Amino acid sequence: MSNHIRGRIVGREDSENSPVQKRTLLSAEYPGSKKLKLADEMTDTANQKRPNFSALSTSPNGINKTASLVNTKPGAAKKLVIKNLKEKPKLPENYEEQTWEKLKEAVIAIQTSKSIRYSLEELYQAVENMCNHKMASHLYLNLTTLAEQHVKANIQQFMAESMDRHFFLKKMNECWQSHCRQMIMIRSIFLYLDRTYVLQNPTIHSIWDMGLEMFRHHIVMNTLVQTRCVDGLLMLIEKERQGDAVDTTLLKSLLRMLSDLQIYQEAFESKFLLATERLYAAEGQRLMQEHDVPEYLAHVNKRLAEENERLLHYLDSSTKWALIHTVEKQLLTEHLTAVLQKGLDLLLEENRISDLCLLYKLFTRVKTGLQELCTNFNAYIKKKGRTIVIDPEKDKTMVQELLDFKEKMDNIVSKCFQSNEKFSNSLKEAFEQFINQRTNKPAELIAKFVDSKLRAGNKEASEEELERLLDKIMVLFRFIHGKDVFEAFYKKDLAKRLLVGKSASVDAEKSMLSKLKQECGGGFTSKLEGMFKDMELSKDINVAFRQYMSNARTAHLLNTIDLTVSILTMGYWPTYVAMDVTLPAEMVQYQNFFNRFYLGKHSGRKLQWQPTLGHCLLKAEFPQGRKELQVSLFQALVLLLFNQADNITFEEIKAATNIEDGELRRTLQSLACGKARVLQKTPRGREVENNDVFAYDSQFTNKLCRIKINQIQMKETNEEQKATEERVFQDRQYQIDAAIVRIMKMRKTLSHNLLISELYNILKFPVKPADLKKRIESLIDRDYMERDKDTTNQYNYVT
Amino acid sequence: MADEDNSSDRVDNETPKPEKMFTLKKWNAVAMWSWDVECDTCAICRVQVMDACLRCQAESKAGSGRQDCVVVWGECNHSFHYCCMSLWVKQNNRCPLCQQEWSIQRMGK
Repeated sequence: MSNHIRGRIVGREDSENSPVQKRTLLSAEYPGSKKLKLADEMTDTANQKRPNFSALSTSPNGINKTASLVNTKPGAAKKLVIKNLKEKPKLPENYEEQTWEKLKEAVIAIQTSKSIRYSLEELYQAVENMCNHKMASHLYLNLTTLAEQHVKANIQQFMAESMDRHFFLKKMNECWQSHCRQMIMIRSIFLYLDRTYVLQNPTIHSIWDMGLEMFRHHIVMNTLVQTRCVDGLLMLIEKERQGDAVDTTLLKSLLRMLSDLQIYQEAFESKFLLATERLYAAEGQRLMQEHDVPEYLAHVNKRLAEENERLLHYLDSSTKWALIHTVEKQLLTEHLTAVLQKGLDLLLEENRISDLCLLYKLFTRVKTGLQELCTNFNAYIKKKGRTIVIDPEKDKTMVQELLDFKEKMDNIVSKCFQSNEKFSNSLKEAFEQFINQRTNKPAELIAKFVDSKLRAGNKEASEEELERLLDKIMVLFRFIHGKDVFEAFYKKDLAKRLLVGKSASVDAEKSMLSKLKQECGGGFTSKLEGMFKDMELSKDINVAFRQYMSNARTAHLLNTIDLTVSILTMGYWPTYVAMDVTLPAEMVQYQNFFNRFYLGKHSGRKLQWQPTLGHCLLKAEFPQGRKELQVSLFQALVLLLFNQADNITFEEIKAATNIEDGELRRTLQSLACGKARVLQKTPRGREVENNDVFAYDSQFTNKLCRIKINQIQMKETNEEQKATEERVFQDRQYQIDAAIVRIMKMRKTLSHNLLISELYNILKFPVKPADLKKRIESLIDRDYMERDKDTTNQYNYVT
Repeated sequence: MADEDNSSDRVDNETPKPEKMFTLKKWNAVAMWSWDVECDTCAICRVQVMDACLRCQAESKAGSGRQDCVVVWGECNHSFHYCCMSLWVKQNNRCPLCQQEWSIQRMGK
């Protein structure tokens, strides 16, 4: 029924603009009614002339008579002359009164739901006749009065003292529905009136509109009725919001009524929005207290969905923006900060992907939502990152934690925050900020982490996995300001890997190097590349040396030692402590051979042997069997002493080898207290004392044929750390110098400030302006540049 | 087994042992080369001679600095970067340290 009314209303609205459209609409609605079709035709533009003709056709003096004339003389060929009527046909005197009585009766019958005595056709004809006889205005007036009386009478039922709201609404709905039904019927009968008289007088309401107007004026505009009705509706909606099932058809019908009567906005909407606001304001406050954030967000989401349903089911769609906006404002905007402060950290911490997705989705709805979310996201990363980085006790796991943390955050940005660029930038900014809160250490640990992954024996990763891991590390590396600190430590570890041949894969090493080069440029990696080059050159040199030895007269050598020398370029490699040790005569002999060979090839060079880095393979003739021992040079020197004596004291060993005290103690410890104990120490005990006596273990057995005796690593002391850092600082001075010269050479003349700002662009490590000033002073002293004589604060390049 | 017991006994009482207990088979040594100079720093550019000179560093030819930037010794045995010295002699054909007439004694290789 309500659909039907709706359709009517649309038709009505349209009809005000185009009568043609109205015709098609109506004929579509009543396809079976010939009469209506007829009426349609009459609405044509020619209908002003039509009335006269049709008046003739219906009058008793009209066509009927002529027809009978024709019938009485069939076949006669007579001339038919048509003359004007002598006198105008007249209506019966009381025609108007009688007809109106008839119509009135019918209307009242409709209004009281009784059957109509006359056929609809007859009534329609009556209306048409009245219209055509200029009684339209009278007819319209009468009809209006009749309708008004009826509607007025209807109000009584709503005025009762107390009335159940639901019952009231039902009654209201009934009344409205029947009013519509009646008006449709009435309009059908009075259609001709509607089409002619009403259409020609723009000031007059169509019959339908008149009906609505009556209903509005007499029933709904009544303060009591309106308040009751609207309050009732609000009550039903509130009930539904509380989760009760309500009669949505009733709601829908009544709300349609309000909008049909065009009082939806003034009477209902504002009150409804106010109620919504009040409800959700209270709910927001309460639920924020009671629920944790994910629950709250889920609730908000549910509420929004519900309100959208409501819009779909019964609210007028014009309310949509205001309603949703109100809900968003009360449930989200008001609580943005609280939600973020209370819940974001936890959600991020626990990696609650779906909750975060929802959070993002909801926050996109409100104006500053994403901005606030981004700020808080950034703050969380900084806070969390700081705890990873700052605590020295967590140094061991720092890099792995950083990698995990980065991956987790990346995942959240891509999955929950729709890869929003603002968020990924903020993520980067936050990482860069916190990772540099602790100077040097993260750089150092990243370098060591890379070392642990590139070192042989790290079998946890395949080539591709390793490659991917290195890429991830490079991302962390990018955040670090003191890249040279990384380089220094990386270099130290790389040296160890290269010299001991412990590198897991040359490809991985090269790939890491090229990544660094890509990131920081060739200047950064030139020394590292130099180290690889040294290793390759050393291979060639050793081939040449073997050649040299076979040609030289070496037959007088007691036994042949297979000597391989790695030649390192000073400056490329980390600096090692120079140590003079006493080598056995045969080793000295070999060393001299090599010196002669090498310096003969390269003039102007000198060689410094690095005993700390050497290692040897010893053949050992134990009574239980022959073993091969893989040892450091120091271990070898100590063991070789036992060829001459059986028991040797610590002091004697020290005098014979000249190995530095601490180093020697560690060496002896590794031989006598380690896993494979080649030496026996008296008295037993871990610490090596000055009076200890050592003897080789004649009972030594081991499953393996070739045994590696591990060295005991000195723990990296603070001093060593400082030394590396000091070296970094020194290098920075040179880099600053080089950068200044490079800039000045290009610009020739430059003001102080511009020079400083260009330097900051170039230099890859943090520097203070004061340090830069010192370097500029120093370069001026060395005549690389000069102060301009005329302009202060300006420098000229000196060629 | 008896042999073993004997041998262990003998250990305790100064056992005889093989001719040579330990023999050095293989020696992987490491040596560091540097220019054989009196002074580590080039007096002209004040950069260590082992590094490329300041101008070469500024050109920033990655990795190629060493080969191009060798060291030169004068008859006076003072040494400088070859690049630095060849610029220097255009102005003044004397050693910047001792003012002797400059003539090249040898070049680094």
